[in-house]
Amino acid sequence: MKAAATLLAVATAALLPVAFPGQPYMLQLATLTLCGIVPAIGLNLLFGYTGLVSLGHMGFAGVGGYAAALLMKQAGWPFLPALGSGALLAGAVGLLVGIPCLRLRSHFFIIVTLAVGLILSTLFTNLDWLTGGAEGLPGIPRPRPLAIGGVRIVLATPIGFYWVALAVTLGALLLQWAVVRSPFGSALAAIRQDETMAAARGVDVFAHKLAVFALSAGIAGAGGALQASFLRVAAPASFDLAASINLVAVVIIGGPGYLAGPVLGSIVFVALPEALRAAAQARLFVFGAVLVLLALFAPRGLLGLGTRLLRRHAAS
Amino acid sequence: MAFPAMAFPAMAVIAQAVNGIMMGAVYALFAVGMVLVFGVMRVLNFAHGAVFMAGGYLCWFAMAHVSPIYPVALLFSTAGGAAIGLVLERLVFRRLRENLSMQIVASLGLILMAQNGVLLLFGADALQIEAPSLRRVLRLGELGFTVQHLVILAAVAVAVASLHVFLSRSRLGIAMRAASQDIQAARVVGIAPDRVFAITFALSGALAALGGALLGPLFLVFPGMGDLPLLKGLTAIVLGGMGSVWGAVLGGLAIGLLEAEATLFAPTDYRDLVVFAALIATLLLRPRGLFGTAIRGEP
Repeated sequence: MKAAATLLAVATAALLPVAFPGQPYMLQLATLTLCGIVPAIGLNLLFGYTGLVSLGHMGFAGVGGYAAALLMKQAGWPFLPALGSGALLAGAVGLLVGIPCLRLRSHFFIIVTLAVGLILSTLFTNLDWLTGGAEGLPGIPRPRPLAIGGVRIVLATPIGFYWVALAVTLGALLLQWAVVRSPFGSALAAIRQDETMAAARGVDVFAHKLAVFALSAGIAGAGGALQASFLRVAAPASFDLAASINLVAVVIIGGPGYLAGPVLGSIVFVALPEALRAAAQARLFVFGAVLVLLALFAPRGLLGLGTRLLRRHAAS
Repeated sequence: MAFPAMAFPAMAVIAQAVNGIMMGAVYALFAVGMVLVFGVMRVLNFAHGAVFMAGGYLCWFAMAHVSPIYPVALLFSTAGGAAIGLVLERLVFRRLRENLSMQIVASLGLILMAQNGVLLLFGADALQIEAPSLRRVLRLGELGFTVQHLVILAAVAVAVASLHVFLSRSRLGIAMRAASQDIQAARVVGIAPDRVFAITFALSGALAALGGALLGPLFLVFPGMGDLPLLKGLTAIVLGGMGSVWGAVLGGLAIGLLEAEATLFAPTDYRDLVVFAALIATLLLRPRGLFGTAIRGEP
């Protein structure tokens, strides 16, 4: 039942641009939403499943984005190896940052992640020789056509890149699912519920936190690489503090600790401001009000709210 | 190291120290308001910067439409900030006391509402508070600073001193400290938590708005003017150990000094990087901040 629904959703997502052709703007929004889902999956593993808030996660996405941009632009690497290397590098940076920072507790850790994100975004803006400074690195080439047997799939078109983004997003979702179902994922859940208890039951808390922090930074890096190659530019504004805070909001609004939370959160975050376009000037004001209402009335995110309503319905 | 002595002329160091202590005083004021709310309610109000910004606009409004006397405008902003604090506590944060993640989302929503709200009301252009007497430059030998530098230092000193007296002498202040130590025990001895929360938020809002009204005449008043103080204020309370008013004050002053002196040895663009790197380095050496103490029950 669940598998069928998932398959249906994937098929719908893949065929959407074919079913509604001639909608370049909608296609662009849909691709951007996908680009937002991937880093949110990374943060969901860290925050939703392990209970660690990171307020600087788009900094890691930036490491992946800039690395992939440099590899594709300067070294002429193809898309997929560049994305993979960006993710690996972001994961490595996450590992290095995590070793000292994960020893800090609760609120101290949160503020340090904020500081790390700020430091990374300062570097993106100011290391002109490497990152192109405030202008970033423009002119990232589009992915090359994919040849499977005799079929040649063009990925450079808007629809082609939408499929690329969809494939990367599905890969990240699959990884999230595999991690959550694994014994490693159970250990993470134990840490979230009670760290002391988890340690008493033989979980190496620090090692698990470090592993999930690096993994989550790596997934964020893949998201950054995907976004940079979609926008064809790696720019500091994509990876600054505001972007990091928005990412946290995406995860929380969707429903932290739900597999589909990042998907729903990202859709809400891109679609809602668009839907509010009618309100023109007051658009962001209304969006802010909606966020406050969500915080007050959906304490476990939209999916949490949904499950609660379903349960109440089933009970009555 | 080949640092020529000339690279750090004493006068430049002192001049930056004056600037740094002034900005540090503003950060301290900001951080004290945040740490009060955190201490009493365990709420991290990221929208504190929006109240700071509102204070700047209230001050501009008061100077332009209520009374051109700056101290009156300061009082007006402070009272306005207290009112905003009361509303925020009652409508939003009282219900989010146990939920850190939703505190973040609500704060983000409030920031969006505040920043876009003032955009709609006052337009996108930065506003200037017309107070030439505050911008007059005083000379002390080679040092030059504005009257507003002194006003800021004096106002912050008065505010922090009154807060200290309030917290240590008055019944309400003692009730606040009791609530911050153990809310259940406070309830047992007859302290009404909701009343304490409301007063805490009002105080915090008043301090934030006062900060905005103090910084406004020196720089400009614009929607994002609370963003940097928020980051520096957060850094200050973490440096100070997230528990004490004096820790937050010292943390704020230290950050102000550090970022001002940093411009002497690093490009201005890296000023914030120096501050945040110092924060991380400090926490690595002292994981609970400079003045934090271990909490019973935490490993």
